[in-house]
Amino acid sequence: MAILEVDSITNSFGSVTAVDDVSLSVEAGELFCLLGPSGCGKSTTLRTIAGFEQPDSGQIRIDGTDVTPTEPNRRDCSMVFQDWALFPNKTVRENVAFGLRMNDVATAQRRQRVDETLSLVEMTDHAEKPPAALSGGQKQRVALARSLAFEPEILLLDEPLSNLDRKLREAMQLEIKSIQRETGMTMVYVTHDQDEAFTLADRIGIINEGHIAQQGPPATVYTDPTNQFVESFLGTTNFITCEVTATTAVEPATPEATDGGTAEIELTTPFGEPLSVPAVDRLSPGDTVTASIRPERVSVVTASSEPPASWLFTATGTVEQRLHRGSRIRYELAVGETTLVTERRIDERLGVDIGDSVAVGCQPEAITYFDAAGRRIR
Amino acid sequence: MGNTDRALRWLFRAGYGTVFLLLVAPVVVVTATSLSATTAVTFPPTDLSFRWYTTLFTRRVWMQAVQNSLLTAGGTAVFSTGLGVAGALGARHLSDRSQIAVSGLVLVPLLVPGVVLGVSLLIFFSRFGLQQRLSTIVLAHALWATPLTFSVMRATFSRFDWQLQEAAMDLGASRLRAFREVVVPNTVSGLVAAAAIAFVVSLQEFIMALFLSGRETRTIPVESWFALRGSLSPLVSVASTLLVGAVVLTLIIAATAIGLERVADDT
Repeated sequence: MAILEVDSITNSFGSVTAVDDVSLSVEAGELFCLLGPSGCGKSTTLRTIAGFEQPDSGQIRIDGTDVTPTEPNRRDCSMVFQDWALFPNKTVRENVAFGLRMNDVATAQRRQRVDETLSLVEMTDHAEKPPAALSGGQKQRVALARSLAFEPEILLLDEPLSNLDRKLREAMQLEIKSIQRETGMTMVYVTHDQDEAFTLADRIGIINEGHIAQQGPPATVYTDPTNQFVESFLGTTNFITCEVTATTAVEPATPEATDGGTAEIELTTPFGEPLSVPAVDRLSPGDTVTASIRPERVSVVTASSEPPASWLFTATGTVEQRLHRGSRIRYELAVGETTLVTERRIDERLGVDIGDSVAVGCQPEAITYFDAAGRRIR
Repeated sequence: MGNTDRALRWLFRAGYGTVFLLLVAPVVVVTATSLSATTAVTFPPTDLSFRWYTTLFTRRVWMQAVQNSLLTAGGTAVFSTGLGVAGALGARHLSDRSQIAVSGLVLVPLLVPGVVLGVSLLIFFSRFGLQQRLSTIVLAHALWATPLTFSVMRATFSRFDWQLQEAAMDLGASRLRAFREVVVPNTVSGLVAAAAIAFVVSLQEFIMALFLSGRETRTIPVESWFALRGSLSPLVSVASTLLVGAVVLTLIIAATAIGLERVADDT
């Protein structure tokens, strides 16, 4: 059952629409990540769920109850702030006990619950310290404990790890994930870091310019994007600008490979080899179509060997650059008028040198097409 | 450095030295005369003694005046700090233009002469039979103190991390509870400074208190004025010295509070 439902909320500040008709629903026990570039409206969405911002329109429902007009202190959710917002005038213990005290939990029970939560985040030894005496990672743990202690229905996390260094951040990601599994807590997690989102999320909502571009499980969002923003935001990719040449039905060269001869639209590409996309009404000759191939899915063979017949196209290219980046090697290939980037793990390196001639192609399923408005063509 | 520069620098030093002396001189004279051993107010005093201090503390009217002054100043401190806090909290949510307008408007009472305020307030309160009460003096003094407490609290709240209040509310605290638990403890120095300034404003105010007080509600400045009309007695010097001492002490408290906060902010 959906525990949190955000029903087409819109938030404007003056003339700026920060959140534009955002809807999402989060199941109990799920970790939902809102991922997007900075200023995309993801934090505003979270603050609206918490009750710090009032939406201009739309509804927030927790457990089926409309909480849109409810004050933050009466909503059964709690927020972990980006810079933690620990109370400097209280000790770690008092910080963690705060929510319980505000919710009138009896002293003995409160004490026990604080101890439990502090040990969950491994901060028992620091219970009597003031927040100023803690390191960033420790403050982060206390902030998490403070929100977990009074067992809210939903935990909201606003880039909680962005102030930590990389190693600590990665360790904390795993820890948050394990705490989430252990407690079964529903979490909405805002981040601009896609690795973090992919590590943590059960489902991801990708936000761009105030609206949700796509939502779904991480793997689906990565491999099956519905629009060009999602494709470009998640990792690097090769975008190839093509032009529609003909919209007439083209007789498939290999009938068995194209779903029994569906009408197709032919494209010219900057590397000379024609491509074709499924026919859709919205395309007409002269239109621009962007094809995308992920670097790891660009296929390359040396010029001397025969390219596999299953490739969608075969173009000739020259190796322009070879960069060693830790465990991976990145090759830049000049193909026709464009440059394609490909990556290989070090043990799968291509036996090529700069200046070598190669055959470049890809498998049919490795390529995705987007129209000029950024919508996926399929 | 040229000779002209050096000369200018010395001229400047001489200038502000003179101003400083002129400011401090009355305080020195008053303090010195308060230690007089004779009934005459002479400067410099011929013999030094604390006899007039002991005398002051045995005179009922003077003790009444001290009590009135402390009550008025304390009342003004509490009342105008409360108003200043409320005003500063409210102003946070206004648009930039309205904030500027409000900040200007709040200063208006400071520009009205005390005589005018005193007379108008006397007429106004008399209509309700409220003349000669300490509470009306507190209200009058709050007119001058609130612009200052408002400004101090605006500055204090602009440095406060309001996310702490959000965090408190998010954890279930009501607005009022969050204010008490989180905002007050973390802005206490600003609150102390505002209250101290209001206290001083009230303690040294004379004209409005003169209009609004009665025989039983005279503050120290008013009682001094009445005493002076009778005769020039060292008792007035004693009262004045105590007043100056109280003001200096309060200002030290305020300065320490603000200073400590700055130190805490910078580390």
